[in-house]
Amino acid sequence: MSEGIKRRDFLRAAGVTGAGAGLVGCSTEQVEKLIPYVTAPEEITPGVATWYSTVCGECSSGCGVWVKTREGRAIKLEGNPNHPISGGALCARGQSALQGLYDPDRLTSPMLRGADGYEPIPWEEAESLLLAGVRDAGPSVALVSRKAGPTLARLEDELMAGTGGQRIEYDAASEAPLREAARIVFGSNAIPTFDFLSAGIVFSFGADFLGSWVSPVEHTRGFATASAAEEGGGKSPFVFIGPRLSLTGQNADEWVPVAPGAEALVALAVANVIAREGGDAGSYADLLQAYGPETVSAQVGLPVETIEDLAARFVAEGPGLAVGPGIAAQGANATAANVAVLLLNAVGGAVGQTLRPWDGHLSAAASPAAGLAGVIDSMAGGEIQALILHNVNPAYTLPPGFGFSEALASVPFSVAITDRLDETAVQADLVLPDRHFLESWGDSNPRPGLWALQQPAMQPVPHFDSRAGGDILLGLAAGLGQDPGAADYQEYLRSAWSEIHAGLASEEPFETFWRRALRDGVVELPAEEAAGGELQAPDRAMSFEAPELEGEGLALIVYPSDRFGDGRSANRPWLQELADPVSKIAWHSWIEIHPETAAELGVSSGDVARVTSPNGEVEVPVWTYPGIRRDAAALAMGGGHTSFGRYADGRGANPMTLLPPALEQTSGGLVHLATRVTIEPTGEHRGLASIEGASDQRHRPIAPAVELEALLGGEIHEEEHAELYELQAVGGFVPVEAEEGIPEAYPLEGARYGEYDPQAPRWAMTIDLDKCTGCSACITACQSENNVATVGEDQVRMGRDLAWIRLERFYETVDADIPGPVDIRFLPMLCQHCGNAPCEPVCPVYAAYHTPDGLNAQVYNRCVGTRYCANNCPYKVRVFNWFNFSDVPEPLNWQYNPDVTVRSGGVMEKCSFCVQRIRQAENRATLEGRSVEDGDVVPACQQGCPAEAIVFGNIRDPASRVAQLSASDRTYRVLDVLINTQPAVNYLRKVTLHAVEDIHV
Amino acid sequence: MSSTTLERGAQTHPDIPSYGKVNVDILRILSRPGKIWWLLFGLAVAGVGLLGYSWANQLISGIGLTGLNTPVSWGVYITSFVFWVGIAHSGTLISAILFLFRAKWRQSIYRAAEAMTVFAVMTAGLFPIIHLGRAWHAYWLFPYPNERLLWPNFRSPLVWDVFAVTTYFTVSSLFFLLGLIPDIAAARDQAERGSLRHRVYQLVSFGWRGTDRQWHHFGKAYLYLAALATPLVLSVHSVVSWDFAMSIVPGWHATIFAPYFVAGAIFSGIAMVITLMVPIRKAFGLEAYLTTKHFDAMAKLCLVTGLIVSYAYITEFFMAWYSGEDPERHAFWNRAFGDYWWATWTMLTCNILIPVLLWFKRVRHSIAALFVISIFVNIGMWFERFVIIVTSLSQEYMPFAWGNYRPSTTEMGIMVGSFAWFGMWFLLFVRLLPPVAIAEIKEVLPAPLRPRAGAEAAR
Repeated sequence: MSEGIKRRDFLRAAGVTGAGAGLVGCSTEQVEKLIPYVTAPEEITPGVATWYSTVCGECSSGCGVWVKTREGRAIKLEGNPNHPISGGALCARGQSALQGLYDPDRLTSPMLRGADGYEPIPWEEAESLLLAGVRDAGPSVALVSRKAGPTLARLEDELMAGTGGQRIEYDAASEAPLREAARIVFGSNAIPTFDFLSAGIVFSFGADFLGSWVSPVEHTRGFATASAAEEGGGKSPFVFIGPRLSLTGQNADEWVPVAPGAEALVALAVANVIAREGGDAGSYADLLQAYGPETVSAQVGLPVETIEDLAARFVAEGPGLAVGPGIAAQGANATAANVAVLLLNAVGGAVGQTLRPWDGHLSAAASPAAGLAGVIDSMAGGEIQALILHNVNPAYTLPPGFGFSEALASVPFSVAITDRLDETAVQADLVLPDRHFLESWGDSNPRPGLWALQQPAMQPVPHFDSRAGGDILLGLAAGLGQDPGAADYQEYLRSAWSEIHAGLASEEPFETFWRRALRDGVVELPAEEAAGGELQAPDRAMSFEAPELEGEGLALIVYPSDRFGDGRSANRPWLQELADPVSKIAWHSWIEIHPETAAELGVSSGDVARVTSPNGEVEVPVWTYPGIRRDAAALAMGGGHTSFGRYADGRGANPMTLLPPALEQTSGGLVHLATRVTIEPTGEHRGLASIEGASDQRHRPIAPAVELEALLGGEIHEEEHAELYELQAVGGFVPVEAEEGIPEAYPLEGARYGEYDPQAPRWAMTIDLDKCTGCSACITACQSENNVATVGEDQVRMGRDLAWIRLERFYETVDADIPGPVDIRFLPMLCQHCGNAPCEPVCPVYAAYHTPDGLNAQVYNRCVGTRYCANNCPYKVRVFNWFNFSDVPEPLNWQYNPDVTVRSGGVMEKCSFCVQRIRQAENRATLEGRSVEDGDVVPACQQGCPAEAIVFGNIRDPASRVAQLSASDRTYRVLDVLINTQPAVNYLRKVTLHAVEDIHV
Repeated sequence: MSSTTLERGAQTHPDIPSYGKVNVDILRILSRPGKIWWLLFGLAVAGVGLLGYSWANQLISGIGLTGLNTPVSWGVYITSFVFWVGIAHSGTLISAILFLFRAKWRQSIYRAAEAMTVFAVMTAGLFPIIHLGRAWHAYWLFPYPNERLLWPNFRSPLVWDVFAVTTYFTVSSLFFLLGLIPDIAAARDQAERGSLRHRVYQLVSFGWRGTDRQWHHFGKAYLYLAALATPLVLSVHSVVSWDFAMSIVPGWHATIFAPYFVAGAIFSGIAMVITLMVPIRKAFGLEAYLTTKHFDAMAKLCLVTGLIVSYAYITEFFMAWYSGEDPERHAFWNRAFGDYWWATWTMLTCNILIPVLLWFKRVRHSIAALFVISIFVNIGMWFERFVIIVTSLSQEYMPFAWGNYRPSTTEMGIMVGSFAWFGMWFLLFVRLLPPVAIAEIKEVLPAPLRPRAGAEAAR
């Protein structure tokens, strides 16, 4: 990849050179002064951003990121385009890492539990306590940590090996059954890599691969590209098989709503049909025999034709790719279900084409909960004298039935290395504040041959007296008399990487290699021999039948939140305020049930319901959703924190409290699909903090679609193109030629507003709705770039959220009862920068005005707050600062982008097309003595979009991508036909595989 | 005897025996107020305190203390603004237009109606400032010369509003004060010499002595000001209606808005005059001055404008259907059957159904009935503006952005406070300035001729 770096990219992503110099000088005392640097660090120019490459630590996908720093402060995260996983994009969680870094609830110093609560203690004392505790425990020590980078994992392993204790990996949202299934079916030791880009047809048996499953950013990019209709090309169909339409399910072309847990049988039946028609089932042929479509049809209540049709298409439209069932569907048969799906891939010829078992996703969280369950037993049995918990929160993420908290109380010495007093740390004896990944060293190895360095992008935030987990553990190792071979973790990492370098046997000196790795953020080693992928004989008997669920009522689906994962990113206002991509609800949990189930239960959306399982109960508002089966209810992970921080505590419900302490037999993974729940109204109505008004577009020209056949047959109305070409040519509105006095003649020549400097660019955007998956990463990217404030639950409930992008979601076709087409449309709605903008003439003080380059500008300090512009905006994209929302607790204000005004109360704001980036690109071009080229200006939403659905540029330049995309047959402009606003945002219709209503646009 | 009765019956004020009695009856009102007045005044001052408190709170915390949101970013404040501007209209109509048309029944009511106009504009003028996100920058809407060469946007209907409302306030106050001069002189003459009251009246009566020359000038000035004020009656509320009609919001964007709003303004204004006149008549024993004839005339005006308003409602609904556009049709469907159906049906009941009673002479001649109906019309007209503003905004073009609005306690406090603010000025007015035009009443009384001897003997 390194040869693909452009010169400008090279300048942007400066590598850290040398040990100390890499950490740019920055502390509170300095930055409070106007000119902070008496002796300025070499690479810092005030007012100019410095970029660092590192690795995102939010989930275990291992996305490479670029961190934008200004005057020593990280202010924005962007995907590293050189990194094959992130490919330049980042999800909403990744974008929000900044708020993890500046989280005001991070620990400010080590804490020791005393008689009355925790007391801050100095690091020397904390480390000596840690050393004494672990030394006294001898071999009765255990270290529990989450999936860590390879070098940190090695350090932890070495440390524990030295003490004779044990190290356990624990991840709350873990794909242990999938890894086990891959071992059984392919004999590999990792989760396979799924190549959505190459897939001709995709089946997901419940996996939320666009939202939370394994590597969402990578999957989204591949899926969006493959499933989007190219001009004159095909479109990979996507069938979702499962009880609930997740974000991923909402992107499906077809939905086969099967009961929770029945995915395995369907996968086997489809595989059976393929095998019957000549597919090679290898050593599984006998097993498949028992799952003929007729048998399965009777068991799961699905027509035989549906199964046969799926099978036929998987082969005919292949290469197919089947994934799933994912964490939400991890029942007692989870490994078997994964085996069934992998088997379908194998029989359907996907292995080697779309699924690569040998090129596994090494960094994915796949540790079985059984490991921790074993430690809990030992703890309760008094066999553990000292317990180190590194960045894990089992007190919150494990079902309480495991008895973790009780067992922890019986451990004589427990240490939590974490960044906050979370539910687990608050029970530990000693709490050591860990550093954020943007402040510390580390590495990642997401797949064989792909290595990336995690380097600190800034000096540790001075508010928090923290130490990196690696340094703490290294110090402990040294104290215990072990010889880790390095004084600090950075050195340890370097020596680990020198081994990688040695393995390369290249002539490049190590120092050059190291700097290259830092600068590029990723190193790709020569590919190893592709091996494996042959079907292994099943090594044990497995039950594929849908698991029995305990209790009565609706099957409870517990799924990882697209925003909070397992709950670790819950204390971030950006994510709390981000409307959930599926439910559009912010700040609180909800229980999803089918509208008709709700009617039977006598509840409606916004009613608080008591959800009771045999293991516990929670009270949570109901949200009715046509995309869930009538016999199921769903509750997202990540809510209901009790000790996590001011933005997370007391918000929502934690579904883990409803689950039994059950482990899946084969893999040892936690069983998520285990229980049924009863739902009864409490009589309270709280309403939902939702951004959704109505999810029916009422046949208005808002989000039309086109059937693929019609698109290929050229059946879209032609007349709209003439207008678009005109727009392209002159960059604004031109009246239709007509006699004066008839309506079409207006506005008359000279009376139009969209006529601006003919020499200036006309900035415009295209959004491909066939690519957009509704993941909402653009919203958080925008929030980070543009200092968009968060308003809190009550204000969102009142309809006062400030997001500049509103991701609208319309249900067109959703049927939870029978298999068939599903059509849910997404529409990212942002300021359309109309050529004929209704907001501009009504502002009495010119706060809304048109720039010569066609931007619809908002002058914050001129705005008096009449709000007339918002009333007159047909797109409803103007948001108002009802209060002064920008005052955030220190150091959360460090996140603010110094290039963008922080708005005060009483002023209107809206999308600016990232005008600061436009001006920056123009200035840079001027300095370099050239004109702005296509691609120089990339607004934050486009930059962050994993689906690459957004393209921005100068529509006056016929060669620009935006101009070319605007000329597509699918292009339309929202509402324009109705009100002649001449927007600068051109949408490309969604393409469906079924016939759709023709909405005239 | 019988001829005298007939003669008296033909008069506007058959029960006022002499010019002198007018002075006595009217100037009696400008005396020391009683307990009821003080009670009402106390309530009004308390209400103004509520307004001040609520507004101060809102200035400190932010406009978010309202229930406004996206998409409904105008609510009770703009509703009240339009309501009060509307109220302000009938005063000028009665004093200026009816003056020019020589409608004799205006004499008894025009003074109070004019005072109502002035105070209603003073009330209305508060709301555009109260509703601003940054009220402290309200002066930016005025075209004042500044070193940054920044001017307001003359294309914005809100700037037109600034001109319309300030012009209307200026002209109606001048007209009001001019008309007062002869009456204040009468009050001056009656007041105790050297008292504060006397000195103030002396100042405001501008040395009026009632000479021919003064009457001549006064008459001319009054006529010209009446001519100047007349177009304002029509233009100001037209401009206010353009705040809505110039937008592209379905439910606002309609060519009918200007006449529709003017009719509605007069409708509500006349209703408010009735609401105010009935208690004044009762409290100060002005039955001889405000006869059923006057109320009958006002009721007829109310009926006519009410019918125009009803016609406008029907036209709006018809045009929405006829447009064939879903956003337009839906806006009106939502009005009638959406979340705010109750507001719409309150409006329709109060403004169409209840005024139907005014067709009956018995109703028009029943002061109590008119009082009740006028209050319904006031409520109905407040809701009319609420319905137009809130229901239209709540469900516009983009269904996903639809949302509802509920007024907050701050908004209700300020709305109630605005009535108190208006009431406070009006209470002060009735005790400090002659609420019925003394001089003009005399114009319509029969000239004081010496009684015939026979008649004298008969008595």
